[in-house]
Amino acid sequence: MIDKLFAWFDDRLAISRGGRHLINKIFPDHWSFMIGEIALYSFVVLLATGVFLTLYFVPSAHDTIYHGVYRPLQGQKVSEAYASTIDLSFSVRGGLLMRQMHHWAANIFVGSIVVHMMRIFFTGAFRRPREVNWMVGATLLILAIFNGFLGYSLPDDLVSGTGIRIAFSILESVPFVGSYLAFFLFGGNYPGNGSIIPRFFILHVLILPLLILGLIGAHLGMLVRHKHTQFRGRGAREDNVVGTPLWPGFVAKTTGFLFLIAGATALLGALVQINPIWMYGQYRPYEVSYAVQPDWYMGWLDGALRVMPSWEIHLPGHMVPNAFFPGVFLPGLTFTLIYLWPMLEARFTGDTAEHHLLDRPRDRPLRTAFGASVFAFYFVLFGASSTDVLANYLSLTLNFVLWAFRVLVVVVPLVVFPVTYKICKELQATPGAGQRKRFNVVVRAAAGGYAVEPAPEYPGYAHDEPEPLPVEEIDLSAIEEEDRAPAGVYRIPRQYR
Amino acid sequence: MRRVLPPVVLVAFVVALGLVLFAPAPRQARPLGRVTLADATSQNQAASVAEGRTLFEQSCSSCHGSEAQGSALAPNLRGLGAATVDLWVSSGWMPLANPTAQPIKKPPVFDRQQTLAIADFVESLGGGPRVPSVNLRNANVSAGFSVFALNCAPCHTITGAGDALSNGISAPSLHDVTATQVAEAVRTGPANMPRFSPDQISNAQLADLIAYVTRGIQHPAAPGGLSLGGVGPVAEGFVGLFVGVGVCLLFALWIGDRSEREEAGAGTHEEGAHA
Amino acid sequence: MPEPPAGGARGDGGAPRPVVTLESPQFQVRARRPRRAEKVAASAFVVALAGFAAFGGAYWQGANNEWLGGTLGVGFVAFGVAFVVWGKYLMPRGPFEEPRPMMAVTPDEREALVADFASRGKVAIRRRTFLLKLMGLAAGVFGVVAAFPLLRSLGPLPRKSLYKTKWRKGSYLTTIDGRRVRTSDVAVGGILTVFPEDDVGGAISQTVLIHVQEGGDIVTRPGRETWGPDGFLAFSKVCTHAGCPVGLYEELTEQLLCPCHQSLFDVRAGCWPVFGPAPRPLPQLPLYVDSAGYLRAQAGYDEPVGPGFWERGGTT
Repeated sequence: MIDKLFAWFDDRLAISRGGRHLINKIFPDHWSFMIGEIALYSFVVLLATGVFLTLYFVPSAHDTIYHGVYRPLQGQKVSEAYASTIDLSFSVRGGLLMRQMHHWAANIFVGSIVVHMMRIFFTGAFRRPREVNWMVGATLLILAIFNGFLGYSLPDDLVSGTGIRIAFSILESVPFVGSYLAFFLFGGNYPGNGSIIPRFFILHVLILPLLILGLIGAHLGMLVRHKHTQFRGRGAREDNVVGTPLWPGFVAKTTGFLFLIAGATALLGALVQINPIWMYGQYRPYEVSYAVQPDWYMGWLDGALRVMPSWEIHLPGHMVPNAFFPGVFLPGLTFTLIYLWPMLEARFTGDTAEHHLLDRPRDRPLRTAFGASVFAFYFVLFGASSTDVLANYLSLTLNFVLWAFRVLVVVVPLVVFPVTYKICKELQATPGAGQRKRFNVVVRAAAGGYAVEPAPEYPGYAHDEPEPLPVEEIDLSAIEEEDRAPAGVYRIPRQYR
Repeated sequence: MRRVLPPVVLVAFVVALGLVLFAPAPRQARPLGRVTLADATSQNQAASVAEGRTLFEQSCSSCHGSEAQGSALAPNLRGLGAATVDLWVSSGWMPLANPTAQPIKKPPVFDRQQTLAIADFVESLGGGPRVPSVNLRNANVSAGFSVFALNCAPCHTITGAGDALSNGISAPSLHDVTATQVAEAVRTGPANMPRFSPDQISNAQLADLIAYVTRGIQHPAAPGGLSLGGVGPVAEGFVGLFVGVGVCLLFALWIGDRSEREEAGAGTHEEGAHA
Repeated sequence: MPEPPAGGARGDGGAPRPVVTLESPQFQVRARRPRRAEKVAASAFVVALAGFAAFGGAYWQGANNEWLGGTLGVGFVAFGVAFVVWGKYLMPRGPFEEPRPMMAVTPDEREALVADFASRGKVAIRRRTFLLKLMGLAAGVFGVVAAFPLLRSLGPLPRKSLYKTKWRKGSYLTTIDGRRVRTSDVAVGGILTVFPEDDVGGAISQTVLIHVQEGGDIVTRPGRETWGPDGFLAFSKVCTHAGCPVGLYEELTEQLLCPCHQSLFDVRAGCWPVFGPAPRPLPQLPLYVDSAGYLRAQAGYDEPVGPGFWERGGTT
C-alpha cells in the first residue's frame, strides 16, 4: 500500500528521486541541538493559539462601553481591543487558556532563541559556511522580540500602553528623522489618531509572522544545505554527519518533543497567570501604574533606560535626547555586533576555513569569556528593569539600588570575563572534566572481600556506542525469510520478542 | 483590660462588613455609598478621652509630648484629628520601635477600643477629621476602579502591591488594609501620601474606591492560576525563562544524548566490546 | 557478520564496509528491556488519551482554566512522552552517518559560472552602457518615490503639535470629569490631574496641579514670580525622559517621582530633576486665580513638553 502511495506522488512530483536522501538525512543526537527545536515548536504553538485569538480579538481603538461579566469594568468606557480581550479571558470558553498559552509560548520562543544563539556562539557554529545563517538567526531574534512587543501591546491595557508611550518617545529620539517616524507610525502626535492598535495588529499577525516564517524557511533550508555541525567523537569528522536518520528515529523524537513543548506551555497556561489585563484596566494616556516593566525580552532596554545617567547632547537648535542612548544606540550597537561577529572573529583569529566540527566552549576560552561577559552585561540590565520592586522587597532605598546597578553593569562583566577564562583553562587541563563517568560498583564476594566492577551501562551512554555506519547502505535483503516484513516496516528482532 | 468593643462601633463594623460582602450589583451608574467623617464614637466620649489620655501618656508622650504638641523627635498632633491617629495606630505604624525608625506596618500594639480612645484624646486637644464611618451600600466597584487607576495606581501599583518610594519609604501594599483605614488615608494623607479632599474625591467616590480596594484589589479575580505577586511582567519573565525554557531544556536533555565519547584511547574508562 | 553484497558497498575502491542489517548492533533498539519500554509508551498513550478525553469533557462542562489547561497539558505531555520513548528506546539506536560534501566550490566551477554570467552580460550591454545608466536612474527615482506612500501617507508631518499643547492664556484647569478647578478643591498636600477645557483627557496637555502649601506665592525660578499663586504649582505630567505620566507625588518631601524609570523631580525648584535619568525639568504651567476662585493658565507652556527630539533646541 505504501508502494502505491509513493507511486502516485512519484508520477506527479518525482519525490523518490530526492526522497531517499531526505529520509536518510542524519541529525546529531546531542541534546544541545534540540534548543532550536524548542524555538521552532513554541512558534508552532504561537501560530495555533494565535489563530484562535484572531477569531475573537477586535483590533480597534474605538471606544465602547463594557457590559461583560467582569464587574469592576462594568459600564466603563474602554476600547474595543481591550473589551474583546476581556471577553476572551472571561466569556470565551478556553479563551483565557489560549491567551495564556500564547503569551507563555512567546516568552519561551524568545528565550529559546537566545539560548540557541548562545549554543551556536559558544560552540563556534557560526563560522564558515554558516555566517549567513547566523545573520538570519539574528534577524529572527529581532523579529521575535518585536513581535512579542507588538503582541502584548494589542490589548490596550494600562501596562502595555505605558510601554507604547515609551516606544513613541524612543522613536522620537532618533536624530533627524525621529519625530517624522513617530508621527508617521502613530498617525500624529501621541497618542496618534487611533491607528496604532490596528497597525500593531496587522504587523503582529501578518507581516512579521510572514517574515519570521520565511526566515525560518531560509534558516532550515541552509541547515539542510550545509548539514548539521556536530561535536567531535563517535566517528564524527569534518566530512560526515553522525547521528539518527530522519526516518523513523528523528521524526518520532521530534514529534514527541513538539508535544512535550506544547504540553509544558499548556500546563503553564493552566497553572500560572500571565498578563492579567483585567487588573490593569483600559489604557489612558494620563494614567500610570508603578511596578511596571516590559516583558523580559525588552527588559534589558528598560533597565538601560533606568540606569542611564541624565545626559543629553545639546547642539545649536537641536538635541540628541537622553532616551536615544539606551533606547536606540545600545540596541543598535548590540545587534550590529551580533551581525558582524562571525566576520570579526574570522578577522581576529585569522581562521577562514570551513568548519563543521564544533568547538567545546572550554577550547576557546577567549570567545567563551567574551560571550559570557556580554551576556552578563545584558542580564544585569534585565535585572535593572526591576529596581523599584527590588528596593521594595529588599527594603533598600531606590537611590542605593539604582547606583548598585550602575556599578554592577560595569563591574559584573569585567569580573565574569577573567573568571570564565580561568574556568575554561581549568576544564581544559582536567581530562574527562564534565563527562559522564562510568560508575564503579563495589561488590562483596560471598566469601568476603570486595571487588570493584564497572556499573552496567545505560541507554544513551556514549561510552560503548558502536561505530557509525552509512545510512545509505541499510540493506534488509539479508534478513531471514521468517523475518521478512512488508517493505518499509521494521520488526523488532526475534530475540527481543 | 476590658476587651468588649463599644456597641456602636461593633454594629458599624458588622454592617460595613456585611455590605461589602453582599452588596448587590449596581443597577445604575449613580453610586449611593457614602463615607462620612461623622462621629462614630459619641456615646462614651468622656470615658474614651480619659482612657486615651492615659494610653497616650504611656506610649506616645515621650516623643509627641504630653499634650501632643510635638518635639524634636515627633510632629505636633494637634489638629490632625482622630482619623489620622486611628490610621497610624491601627496600622501599627505607631508606636515606632525607636525614635529614628521608619514607620512600617506591624501588628498594632493597641486593640480597637484603645486605638479609638487615643484618637478621641488627640481629637479633644485640637479637633480635626474624625474617624470615618464607611457605608458601602450600593457602592460602584467599577467607578471605584476608575478612581483607583487615576489616583492610587501611580504609587500603590494598579494591583495594589505597593512599591518603593524615594528616601527608603514605601507606598504600602493594600492587601491587608481595612475600609476605614483606606478612608482615613485618603483624607488625611499620611507621611508621603498626598491628601485628597472631598472636593477632589467626593465621599461617594471614596466609597466606590473603598469598595474596589476591598473587593477588586483584596480579592482579585485570578482565573488564570498563580498570580506571581502583581509586580509586573518581570516575574512572568523569570517564570517563563527558568520554568518554561528550563523544563523544555530538561526534556531535551532526556531526549538527546549527553556527553560525547572522548577520542579513542584518551578515555579514563574501560572500552566496552565493539560489535 | 553477513557477507557484503558483491561489488562492495562503497564505490571508492576501499575495503567494502559491512552493510547494515537487522543483526547489526546499530540496528538494535536502545532499550535494554524493550518490553518495558513498550509498556511505558503504551501507558503514556493511554494517559494521553485520557487527558484529551478529559479535556473534551472539561470543555463541555465549562470547567475553569486550570482544568482545561491541566487536562490538555497532561494529554500533550503524555503524548510526547510516548513518542519519545518509542523513538528513542524502541528504534534503531544507530549511530548512522552520511557523507558531507564540502561547501567550497572549486575554482573551475566558479570560473565557468562567472564566465557565463559576465560574458553573456557583457554581450547584453556592450556599447550600450547608457541603457544601464538610464535604468539605474529610473529605478532610483522609483526607489525614492516608493517610500512616499509607504511612509508619508501614514501620518501627518510633525509641526506645531510637537511644540505646543492646548493650553492658552485663560484656559481653565479642568478635571477629567470636566469640572473646572477652584482653589478650594485641592487639599494642602494634594495632587490633581488637570487639562485645558478643550482637551480633557489629552495626552500632551495633561498637567498635575499640586497644592504645595497653604497660601502664598511660590517662586520656583527667577522669572516665575507669579506662576505659583496661593500655594499652587502646576507642571506638565509628561516626563521629560520617556513620556510616562508623572503621577506619583511625595507630599512630605515635595517631590514628583516618575513610576516608569524613577526620575525624581523637586517640585519647589520647578520640578528640577534630582535623581534618575530625566535630563530636564518638567515644564511649569503659569497659573493665576481668577475673581471667581478658579485656577486658570496665564499662558501655555514656555517650552515643548515631554521627552526631547532632534528639532528641540533650547537648553532649559
